[in-house]
Amino acid sequence: MIPAEHYDFDAIVVGSGVSGGWAAKELTEKGLKVLVLERGRDITPGPDYLGEHAPAWKVPYQGKRPRQLYEDEYPMGKRVYALSERNRQFWMNEKENPYVVDAKNPFMWIRADVVGGRSLLWGRQTYRWSEQDFRANEQDGHGIPWPVGYQDIAPWYSHVEKFAGINGKAEGLPQLPDSEFQKPMPWMALEQTIHGRLKKKAPDITLTNARVAILTEDLPGRSACHYCGPCHNGCSTGSYFSSHSSTLPAARATGNLTLKADALVERLEHDPVSGRVTRVHVIDTRTRERSAFSARLFFLCASTVGSTQILMQSRSEAFPNGLANSSGVLGHYMMDHTLGMSGMGIFLDNMDSYYYGNRPTGLYIPRFRNVGGQDEDADFVRGYGYQTFTIRTDWTTNFNSKGFGADLKDSLRKPGPWIWGMAGFTECLPFKSNRMYLSNKVDRYGLPQVAFEMKWSDNEVKLRRDAARQADRILKAAGAVFAMPGDSQDLTAEQMSLPGEGIHEMGTARMGDDPSESVLNKWNQAHDVPNLFVTDGSFMTSASCVNPSLTYMAFTARACDYAVKQLASGAV
Amino acid sequence: MNRREFLQCAAILVSGCSASQLGLALSQEQQVYLATAPDYITTEVNYLSAPQRRIIAAMAEIVIPRTDTPGAIDAGVPKFIELMAADWFTEGERAIFEAGLRDMETRIPAQYGRAFDELPADTRLGIMEDMEAAAADSPWYEFGNVQRDFISDAPFICQVKELTIYGFFTSEAGATQVLRYNAMPMRFDGDIPLDPQDSTWSSDGLI
Repeated sequence: MIPAEHYDFDAIVVGSGVSGGWAAKELTEKGLKVLVLERGRDITPGPDYLGEHAPAWKVPYQGKRPRQLYEDEYPMGKRVYALSERNRQFWMNEKENPYVVDAKNPFMWIRADVVGGRSLLWGRQTYRWSEQDFRANEQDGHGIPWPVGYQDIAPWYSHVEKFAGINGKAEGLPQLPDSEFQKPMPWMALEQTIHGRLKKKAPDITLTNARVAILTEDLPGRSACHYCGPCHNGCSTGSYFSSHSSTLPAARATGNLTLKADALVERLEHDPVSGRVTRVHVIDTRTRERSAFSARLFFLCASTVGSTQILMQSRSEAFPNGLANSSGVLGHYMMDHTLGMSGMGIFLDNMDSYYYGNRPTGLYIPRFRNVGGQDEDADFVRGYGYQTFTIRTDWTTNFNSKGFGADLKDSLRKPGPWIWGMAGFTECLPFKSNRMYLSNKVDRYGLPQVAFEMKWSDNEVKLRRDAARQADRILKAAGAVFAMPGDSQDLTAEQMSLPGEGIHEMGTARMGDDPSESVLNKWNQAHDVPNLFVTDGSFMTSASCVNPSLTYMAFTARACDYAVKQLASGAV
Repeated sequence: MNRREFLQCAAILVSGCSASQLGLALSQEQQVYLATAPDYITTEVNYLSAPQRRIIAAMAEIVIPRTDTPGAIDAGVPKFIELMAADWFTEGERAIFEAGLRDMETRIPAQYGRAFDELPADTRLGIMEDMEAAAADSPWYEFGNVQRDFISDAPFICQVKELTIYGFFTSEAGATQVLRYNAMPMRFDGDIPLDPQDSTWSSDGLI
């Protein structure tokens, strides 16, 4: 082994979002000198949360989105609820940083462009995978078997949950294992009413708190939620998990962290003699100056598409099809969750009850289809869960009423009926034909623009249809006076959310035991390159139906532990 | 960034400096901490004539009048409408808006002998009710048709109503004195009593 002093750093982490932040924390806390490279610009938590707590009357257009600007520069971002003039400074300008969009089959690639990445903008939903999720591929034959099971990951879920701070309610469900929970957020009266009715009329349904990375109890340096509402504008009290509130401060506190912003990684340099990655080549996005840094360990945490792009750009004689791609599966088996409104109901219960504070999440209905085995009436494999939300209607839902004057003013200021909505998040199967690749077009740095080919399969369509059917049953059992359909019960793939719109893109450098079918082994370590680890969503071998970020955190921490032990033993 | 600033940026963009230098310079220049920024309605605008401003103010006040709480004029809605029509509307929407204003400027004095804003309140209300009746078939009025940015071919009366109502309830006076506003609740309680006379929370921008 080459002595440590011959390297610039012990480890280099590419990316500073959910996964990169965790890699930085874990590696620095284990004593490694770590360089984190982030292509986005640096921001200061707090002062750079420009829209935090800004009332509408302070915001351009009092909160209406500038349509032409978004159409021109954020054509995909504008499809996301979170984008507004309160937080646009976090988002990547798509016009300046294009990728190839197939007009007929567009893929929606949503990126942030600041230190912290999408951890600033995410929906904060955090769910453990179950043993059934890890066994799904081997049981129904889609994709390849996972090289790990729930028991391998469970301790690492606990490890990251205690630090990140997850609130939720323990339910003891086998298909959705409980996390290490902080106390759950309170419910609305209508939600209690619905819960009681479902217990009687739809006992197969569990209605529980959404499990979210938002504090309900203080943690060191972070305060419990103050219920202002829109987390995605940034949180200067660190109440929701982001790299800025949690992992990067911890990494900094060790004295072992160097963070370089505006640093776009062009490629990794592979030494065919040692079989190791030796250096990372970086472009300064402000000056276009190129530089390189050496290290003993390399962690790619640049998001699924970003990390896969870097591997594809890191071609060499030894790896003509992309670094660590002897299997040829790099870029393939792309997955995402389909999402959309499965149904909404109007409720006239609890009309004399209201709420205080803005709870920044809703309730959750965990998977109930094909649990523990295939349901007899299911013409699909896998399942889905619902994120639900409860809204008391206000002027924003009936401003287009007829009339003028004091009566109109008075009716608009008062609350209307309740709406309870159910958004289905359905699992996606891994297919080789769903892929990303490097196109012939280049961007302003001269790097290839990424392109995508991805379509929903028959199974995803059937899952969404079933989610719409079941939502109708649940809304009626819940006591909706009027159940409005969301998705059609005979919808087609074209009517579904765009591939990528779930912003859970994953799977393009999947893990497996067989190096001829996978890029990574069970430790997130490249089969072909022992000092290269990939711990963002690209490692995912299947998708489950639950939001994936917690699983990225757990696998990242586990991979860091393994990598440092390998380093100590001289194996890497 | 308003339209003017955007156009300034666009002008710099095409003037030949490198995008990377520009990206940094502009992004820092644009960065404003919004909670302590001036109110949006203090933005300078010089789009409408004085008579047009009087008509828009009179129309907005018919939609949301001052009662025992502030009305549209108190809340700065006329300025909001002028800003939005100047900077936020598409060309097509602006054409509808300008044609509607011209109609108010010419037809009303011809028919009633005075400018719209000089007519008695019930006459003004009657005129706007007639305009609404004539627009009744517009999709603007369809039940539930509210989850959208704007209906681009909405008739003038609908434009005025939508901008008035939106501008009013997102204004400081509308949000704090007519609705209830609390940016820092500190706790969540899902079951507090609601009196039939209580207003909703001002929830714009919240999820």
